[in-house]
Amino acid sequence: MKNTRELKFESPSFFQRLKGMLGVDFYRLFHTPMFYIFLAIAAIIPAMILGMTGMENAEGGIDRLYDNTWQIIAADTPLYVVKDIAEYANMNMVFIFGGIMVSIFIGHDYKSGYVKQLFTTHAKKQDYMMSKTLVCAFAMACMCITYLFGGVIAGALTQTSFAVNVGSLVSAILGKIVMSLGWASLYTFLNIIFRKYFGISIASSFFFGTGILIIGAAAIIGNNSALNIFLYGSSVYACLSSDFFTVLICLAVSVTWAIIYNVLGTLILSKSDVY
Amino acid sequence: MNAIEIRNLSKNFGEKQAVNGLNMTVPMGAIYGFIGENGSGKSTTEKMICGLIHPSGGQIKLFGKDHTDADVRAKVGVLIETPGCFQNYSVWNNLMLQAANLSIQNAETEVRKVLKTVRMEGAASNKYKNCSLGMKQRIGIAMALLGDPTLLVLDEPINGLDADGMRIMREVLVDITKNYGCTVVVSSHILGELEKIATHYGIIRGGRMIKEMTAEELETSCRTYVALQTRDMSRTKALLACKYSRVEEDESGYIRVYDAESPEGIVTYLYENGILVSEIKTAKIGLEEYYIDLMKEKEGR
Repeated sequence: MKNTRELKFESPSFFQRLKGMLGVDFYRLFHTPMFYIFLAIAAIIPAMILGMTGMENAEGGIDRLYDNTWQIIAADTPLYVVKDIAEYANMNMVFIFGGIMVSIFIGHDYKSGYVKQLFTTHAKKQDYMMSKTLVCAFAMACMCITYLFGGVIAGALTQTSFAVNVGSLVSAILGKIVMSLGWASLYTFLNIIFRKYFGISIASSFFFGTGILIIGAAAIIGNNSALNIFLYGSSVYACLSSDFFTVLICLAVSVTWAIIYNVLGTLILSKSDVY
Repeated sequence: MNAIEIRNLSKNFGEKQAVNGLNMTVPMGAIYGFIGENGSGKSTTEKMICGLIHPSGGQIKLFGKDHTDADVRAKVGVLIETPGCFQNYSVWNNLMLQAANLSIQNAETEVRKVLKTVRMEGAASNKYKNCSLGMKQRIGIAMALLGDPTLLVLDEPINGLDADGMRIMREVLVDITKNYGCTVVVSSHILGELEKIATHYGIIRGGRMIKEMTAEELETSCRTYVALQTRDMSRTKALLACKYSRVEEDESGYIRVYDAESPEGIVTYLYENGILVSEIKTAKIGLEEYYIDLMKEKEGR
């Protein structure tokens, strides 16, 4: 049975490929309950912390963890060495839960066979890394916003003070939202390394999301702003005493790490077997 | 120019050599039946052709270009084991997502076309997870057909299907070569089905290609035999074994004589020895028997 035709080989341009892949990933993100569950989790966390720490104790008094609602969003100053849980429990927690969400999202790519189907076509490994990073960064940025709403509502309900320097607050929120890109690229990279081991990829996301390595380093070198070159360092740097320069630092750090992790991830995917 | 040209291909997984110096040539427009026992290296070879795993050595050329070339990859459709679909999405959505990944312009028209080709127009709104195995395999072929491929690589698409599923799949594959004009590489253990559609064959064993041939060459290679039944089968077999070099009893209770000059000669010979033939027919060994014989020959049995 010979039935051949004229051969014409051409593949879509980089932008066409990325547009197609982003379209698929955004469709999947918006059509998976997991995304909305994580948005809800992000909103509930500040509400729970503010609500529970604002309750009366056995003696009838209130030992508030925060004396200002916005401390649930960011610490007062960039303290790399965490002294108590209050400095730790702020919008940075979104990046821990975001890591778990990225693990589930990418893990599903492998479990469903989507990656297998994808990489038999003209799709390039760099497209995959970029698409995942951008979509997961968007998802984490959305989580930051629901976290903000959750915090504001809880602050209002617990009648915690809202006094703040608006410029600093906006800079802190923007700085943290901008950091989503860097964190998403780290988690995408980790999930590419551990793509065959779903449990390990979730555990690694959680481990790195807590910034435990930076906290450990800070314990040795102290509250040094040199730690800003790391993702966790910059995320801490976006605090309630931030200014526009802080946002620029966060943006630069986030984009730099996103590029580094994307290049590394692309290299790993290119040099190893998909399955 | 050939659709696929593989030279000295090898793949090691640690110490295990899955593919070992494999050569393979698939002409354009062929339906290439890729045959081999479990663990012979079929799937590994197909995964290398599809770019899912990297060869340890050797060269794979698709339409004269390196198999990793993005332009060529854009024209390769693949179904490896099971389709990469999302369980909770409908058949339509899964195909539309694949169309988006392939940057297909008229996605809806294309998806309708491939659904029609695989006879799944009526099941487009079904959730993928609710589809039967046969339907899932056809969805996989539909996904592979998106983007108007010039080469289709299908790994075991008919395994696990019932008789009706196999018939539909066979019709679909024949339609594809007619209507899409693409080269198809299809691996399967169900040789009887493969024989009905393949124009070329490649037989792999221990990671090496041991035989490549066209359907015409297979036809020529497959020997004719005479199958017969008598009332005294054991004596008949003993008598025939005295005159003919290869006499065997098959699973359906017939004695097969492979090097007989004619059925008449056998009937006369047995009659002269006091045995009446109750049933006699001539037939050709099929692909399955040819394959088994070849394997026995390679094993030195």
